[in-house]
Amino acid sequence: MSGWRRDLALGAVLLAAFAAVPAFDLPRFWITTMTVFFIWAIVVTQWNLVFGAAGIFSLAQMAIFAVGGYGTAMMGLYLGWSLWLALPLAGLLAVLFGTVVGLACLRLTGAYVALLTLAVAHILFLLIVTDTDCIRYEGTVCRSLTEGWKGLGRYGDYGFRDLFGRDFHLGNYGLALALLALATAFSFVIVRSPMGLAFRALRDNPRYAVSRGLSRFKYQLLVFACSAFFTGLAGSAYAGIYGVIGPNVLQLGVVLFLLSMMVVGGVGRPWGPLVGAALLMLVDEALKEQAFADYRNIGLGLILAAVVILLPQGIAGGLESLGRRLAGGRRGEGTRTETGGDV
Amino acid sequence: MDTFIQIVASGLTLGAMYAVGTIGLSLVWGALRMLNMAHGVLIAAGGYMAWQAIAGWGLPAPLGLVAAMAAGGLLGAAVYWLAARFMFRNEAFENNIIIVTFGLAIALENGILKVFGGYPLAQPFGLEDGFRLGAVHVPWKNVLVVAVSVATMAAMAWFLARTRMGRAIRATAQNRDAAQLMGVAIGGVFAQVLAIAGALAALSGVLLSSITTLSPQVGFDPMLKAFIICVIAGLGNVMGALYAAFAMGLFEAAVQFFLGVRFALPLMLLLVILALIWRPYGVFGRREVRRL
Repeated sequence: MSGWRRDLALGAVLLAAFAAVPAFDLPRFWITTMTVFFIWAIVVTQWNLVFGAAGIFSLAQMAIFAVGGYGTAMMGLYLGWSLWLALPLAGLLAVLFGTVVGLACLRLTGAYVALLTLAVAHILFLLIVTDTDCIRYEGTVCRSLTEGWKGLGRYGDYGFRDLFGRDFHLGNYGLALALLALATAFSFVIVRSPMGLAFRALRDNPRYAVSRGLSRFKYQLLVFACSAFFTGLAGSAYAGIYGVIGPNVLQLGVVLFLLSMMVVGGVGRPWGPLVGAALLMLVDEALKEQAFADYRNIGLGLILAAVVILLPQGIAGGLESLGRRLAGGRRGEGTRTETGGDV
Repeated sequence: MDTFIQIVASGLTLGAMYAVGTIGLSLVWGALRMLNMAHGVLIAAGGYMAWQAIAGWGLPAPLGLVAAMAAGGLLGAAVYWLAARFMFRNEAFENNIIIVTFGLAIALENGILKVFGGYPLAQPFGLEDGFRLGAVHVPWKNVLVVAVSVATMAAMAWFLARTRMGRAIRATAQNRDAAQLMGVAIGGVFAQVLAIAGALAALSGVLLSSITTLSPQVGFDPMLKAFIICVIAGLGNVMGALYAAFAMGLFEAAVQFFLGVRFALPLMLLLVILALIWRPYGVFGRREVRRL
């Protein structure tokens, strides 16, 4: 089990490095950008459980994220609860939602799952965007349940401003980093637990796995529920840190951006999501420069297409097979993208 | 009675439009096992090409339609030459091609945005005025949409049933290996199918934008609806897709009338979710034997 020790060491080094970042007095821009990176990385590591480990091509991940975010905002706004209380509750809400989605695509495979989950995300998006029925009035201003395009706001914060004064963004940074560390550890434990083996067995040869007594029903619901928890927490933290949550998180561009992170990093590779998220955040920042701003989405789209065609195992997968080749012992794994990394 | 005529008139128009867009998607799935996420942007590209040809270059409207279909056909073939060609032998093709065409779609959509801008344009293709049926006003352009799409579907049915190329496409859809052994060049068939689907998507884009307006995202909702229709019919079932297209058009018109426009697409999506749970391989579909 040298894989365990290596991953644990790598994780500890990364965590220490990121935790040390605030000591260097970087500009606030970099701290907030890295906070965004942590949140997206959480979503992608959890997505990697469904798509990578279990091989289910679900596009509902951002819908689950939005459920966590909107749930938090509504708990703060309508019930007046603290966002710290809303955080775990949003995670549970997301688990509930994720399980229902998993239940809906239980009998489907491949492209049908992608379609159904895309439909779920788009229903949420449409219902939010077209939501104009007043449920309360602020003075004479009509407010609807989700406030449509504008999104929800002013539902409180984590109190970092009182605690840290003008360095409140460091509080956000710490929260996002802590969640990412937990989410990454969680995904490693899941993938290597008996449950993770069951996910991979059902992915690689469903008929054989079922005939050996694995219940597709049980494990499909489990993988959706597991991956939904931290995705919901990420949504909740996103809402808490930015102070607004709008339907923009459900737009196709965001899904594409996160999907690119996973694919570029390497689907099903344990460290793939982090590598991909870091790389795409950098590419994205570079493309945001004035000269390229118009080409941002064109560039992202082409990168995504090119990586799937040219490097189907992603960068993490490419590095792994390179390392294996250098180590001499080439295992005849072929070019299948779904091999779940070494265990 | 007027309500009924109103719903049927707009339902048939919607259904005709969806049918044209859906046949292409269904053919592509049938022949290649490929879900083309670039379908929506091909719809938009067709609309813009017709606009460019008619309003920009001053060509007559029918030539604009031809130009749009040619552009759609070229883009569809480009999807094969740039992407699908390298991938269709791979085991993970079904999932990977979705990601690739998704990427190409976003790139192309933003390319259109860059060239034409995001401001909605009016599609010059179409007819003015209309006639009255009872108390209901039926615009001529809706009649045009139905006429063009019925003609297209008849042409497609003839093409698939009677021509050599159509036979090759059907053979490939039924059994790729057997078709290949009988000497069908399946690479060429795939390129043809994608080109045909691209041309049909472009055509439906022109028809669609003649009724609404033209914007780079104009194809996304129709693509989702085409997916819905395909799924309800069973992916790859071309005839089932035709019936489902008209049924969905009528359903949408009825929902828009009785519940409001807001709920049309969410309810359709909900319908497809229920359909998928109830019959995972489509209402008209038979259970597929999947190679594992």
